[in-house]
Amino acid sequence: MSLPGDAPGVYVHIPFCLKRCDYCDFTTFADRDEAIPGYVDALCRHIEGDDSSAALFGSVFVGGGTPTYLPPADLTSIIETLKVNFSFTRDAEWTVEANPETVTAEMAEALAGAGVNRVSLGAQSFDERILTTLGRWHDPASVKTAVDRLRQAGIRGLSLDLIYGTPGETDASWRRSLDRTLELGVDHLSAYALTVEPNTPYAARVRAQPALAPDDDVQASRMAIADTVLSAHDMTRYEISNWAAPGHQCAHNLTYWRGGDWLAFGAGAHGCWGDRRYWMVRDPARYARMVADGAEPLAGQEVISTEQRRLERLMMGLRLTEGVDRSDIEPLDDAVLDRLTDGGLLQDDDGRVTLTPAGRPVAGAVIRQLA
Amino acid sequence: MAYSLHRIRNFAIIAHVDHGKSTLADRMLQVTELVDARQMRDQYLDKMDIERERGITIKAQAVRMPFKTPQGEYLLNLIDTPGHVDFSYEVSRAMNACEGAILLVDAAQGMEAQTIANLYLAVDAGLEVIPVLNKIDLPAARPEAVAEEICALLGGDPGDILQVSAKTGVGVPQVLDRIVERVPPPGGDPDAPTRALIFDSIFDAYRGVIVYARVMQGRLRPGDRIRMMATGFEGVIDELGVTSPEAIPIDELGPGEVGYLTAAIKGVGEAKVGDTITLAGKHAAPAPLPGYREPTPMVFSGLYPVDSADFPDLRDALDKLQLNDASFTFEPETSVALGFGFRAGFLGLLHMEIIGERLDREFNIPLVTTAPNVAYGVELQDGSRQRVSNPADLPDPSRIEAINEPTVDAMIYTPSEYVGAVMQLCEKRRGTMLKMDYLTEERVELRYNLPLAEIVFDFFDRLKSSTRGYASLDYDPAESQTADLVKVDVLLNGEAVDAFSSIVHRDKAYEYGKSMVGKLKELIPRQMFDVPIQAAIGSKIISRETVKARRKDVLAKCYGGDVSRKRKLLEKQKEGKKKMKSVGTVEIPQEAFVAALSLGED
Repeated sequence: MSLPGDAPGVYVHIPFCLKRCDYCDFTTFADRDEAIPGYVDALCRHIEGDDSSAALFGSVFVGGGTPTYLPPADLTSIIETLKVNFSFTRDAEWTVEANPETVTAEMAEALAGAGVNRVSLGAQSFDERILTTLGRWHDPASVKTAVDRLRQAGIRGLSLDLIYGTPGETDASWRRSLDRTLELGVDHLSAYALTVEPNTPYAARVRAQPALAPDDDVQASRMAIADTVLSAHDMTRYEISNWAAPGHQCAHNLTYWRGGDWLAFGAGAHGCWGDRRYWMVRDPARYARMVADGAEPLAGQEVISTEQRRLERLMMGLRLTEGVDRSDIEPLDDAVLDRLTDGGLLQDDDGRVTLTPAGRPVAGAVIRQLA
Repeated sequence: MAYSLHRIRNFAIIAHVDHGKSTLADRMLQVTELVDARQMRDQYLDKMDIERERGITIKAQAVRMPFKTPQGEYLLNLIDTPGHVDFSYEVSRAMNACEGAILLVDAAQGMEAQTIANLYLAVDAGLEVIPVLNKIDLPAARPEAVAEEICALLGGDPGDILQVSAKTGVGVPQVLDRIVERVPPPGGDPDAPTRALIFDSIFDAYRGVIVYARVMQGRLRPGDRIRMMATGFEGVIDELGVTSPEAIPIDELGPGEVGYLTAAIKGVGEAKVGDTITLAGKHAAPAPLPGYREPTPMVFSGLYPVDSADFPDLRDALDKLQLNDASFTFEPETSVALGFGFRAGFLGLLHMEIIGERLDREFNIPLVTTAPNVAYGVELQDGSRQRVSNPADLPDPSRIEAINEPTVDAMIYTPSEYVGAVMQLCEKRRGTMLKMDYLTEERVELRYNLPLAEIVFDFFDRLKSSTRGYASLDYDPAESQTADLVKVDVLLNGEAVDAFSSIVHRDKAYEYGKSMVGKLKELIPRQMFDVPIQAAIGSKIISRETVKARRKDVLAKCYGGDVSRKRKLLEKQKEGKKKMKSVGTVEIPQEAFVAALSLGED
């Protein structure tokens, strides 16, 4: 049996949502429901048309957008197509992203029936005021409902996404969100500092109202609170923004961070195979047209150099608590390395380079120094 | 054709920037039929792009214009002078090559300090001054009032002043007639030992240095072996000519004539403005023409390549500029913060700006330029003396007996309603009033002695802003004075950053230190540790701020879809890191350095 994250993965993108969240800069559309059937067809044909790999895959991640915004039958047919076309390990991880309000009992049953064993729920916050600031609309209580339905359907792997450091949040309200998460007993949690991405409605709001800009110092404190609260409940931080109960790390995401390979399907999806990086066209209609025309719906691709590979390993690998093989990120400037280790930000032991707990909040700066 | 002396008129045009000097020159070229309308372009005589764009003349030019009158043909030589305070020595040499000057004044703007200063130079050189009002077609023109102003300075009858529109050409022929009528013809014995005054020299990549000169006595011919009396350069004239308006070779230049020559001269440093050309050997003149002065740099600044790999290119570029500009000096220096660079000396601020722009434009080398400063004479306690043109080089205060700073006599010409504001500004800049004259009820001439250091930094901008743009400034070097000066160092994380050191008056040290520290606090990005910023005089800290350590600096999300984009960002950051300047372990982006050095006082 392979370790999680060692076998290649498959990423499938569903670029549809009921409503776009203000902070989101992913490829997704909230006004193209009529395009869904054609898109699902194209996606399946794209998967069927791929005969490039005879590898044994260890994970599937259906992300979005909101995959569970699709009719359950569409989702299950995509999953069936994957199963027909590729080989998977027996214990393969099958994750679908969901928004709490889209998880009906029917959806939960359909997912479980199709073999989905992990659902990642976008909870973001349990504080309604924060949800309003973020431009989210769901009722915090819907998270528990969704978790219950998924469990009832037999899906064991459950993860929540939370966002911290939103203006208006307090230390206490952040603790409450963490407590509510722990009460739900999920085995995985992703906690992200609110990031203002350019070209989002949130960025426009920040320009008009600078008080909406998140504060780095505040976010640093909230990150520390998350670490304290979660570790006290046996949730271990295995990546900058990810915590898991023992044995419940996300195998698919580990593939990214450990420098593994994955195939990509769907509008705007990025794939990585060996030294090749490729990405699909973002527009779902164009994606569908290209597939229908028998064309590879690529927007771009590149073959990376050894140095580019090194940079990728550095910026991805150091995010993991387990760190990165030193040989993957050589050559390193010894003086810089010494300064960072002496400064208590980095460890360099037995051929592995890892961030210390103090180094994690400033991982970006450490990575830039080592780049 | 050869002209007898009484048919020759040599004249200059004195005017403030934008008062229409180049346009008037353009019209003269047309009236004398040297250039027809088809060939005409604006600012015909200004050859450098930078001159045309900024509407200023940097290099002097001479143009020979045959002018037909009912009384016969005259030869008019227009010597176009540079028009800025930094070049007043060059202007004075050009004036010495003339017998007359047109004082060209914008009928809307009136007199300006620079015009008055140059007018005094003309009067000192004994020139016949012909006042002319320009832009009389403008709705805002007030010819009567401006004519009064001129007569208050020059004497004479306001009704006698010529009125022109250089733009339309109205009145320009009358100006030429008056030059013929009023400017005295040159004198000079053609058989006396040759003496010719160099009023400009320019470097030409193909022909070497082209020297512009006015023969005062004797003759110059191609093949003559000549000698520059100040620099000692000797060479043989291989081309002698006149500009009319294109270069035309001729066989001889006699007394009163103006022309150019080439003689395999490698750099303008061998043919400096104000030097006297004579013949080499036994026909040499016994003494040079009076008035030669070595160019003295007044303002200094460090020039550092943004990318240290450009250092050799910068050296080449500076060498090339120096071939073309003898008044610009430079020597290598090293800065802990900025690496290898040069300390360059300039005649003044405009000169500095022009060199900076030419480096950027002609050589395309991105530069960090340190804040301008002046040169100090330092007397040490052991009786020795030092000249300090880089504040970082000032010896320890305990060894210093006295520091002398250069001063200037400044003339400020302002509408009377702003006199109070100007006086306030000058007092704040440690000025001593020398004189105040009401030229008319509305126009005041103020004279101040000011430390040069106080005007090299944004004085002109302040003057303009406190007089709504109406005041103008001119200055001449004056005696140096002993002053209570101290060096303020700026320390980052305990280490002095040489590029930020400045010599200031003790009374202003605290203010300077506080403003520098405050500025840097805004400009230096947060690092992984606290960075104290201090201003100090010697070991005494006078101001302190801290850039708090950055507590969070990490991407919240980095998944498969982010890899390519974020890697490209990292590649860019890695490239950008090369442009970071490190002071100890503090990394400062280039832009922060530039911003800190270029901001004026608040």
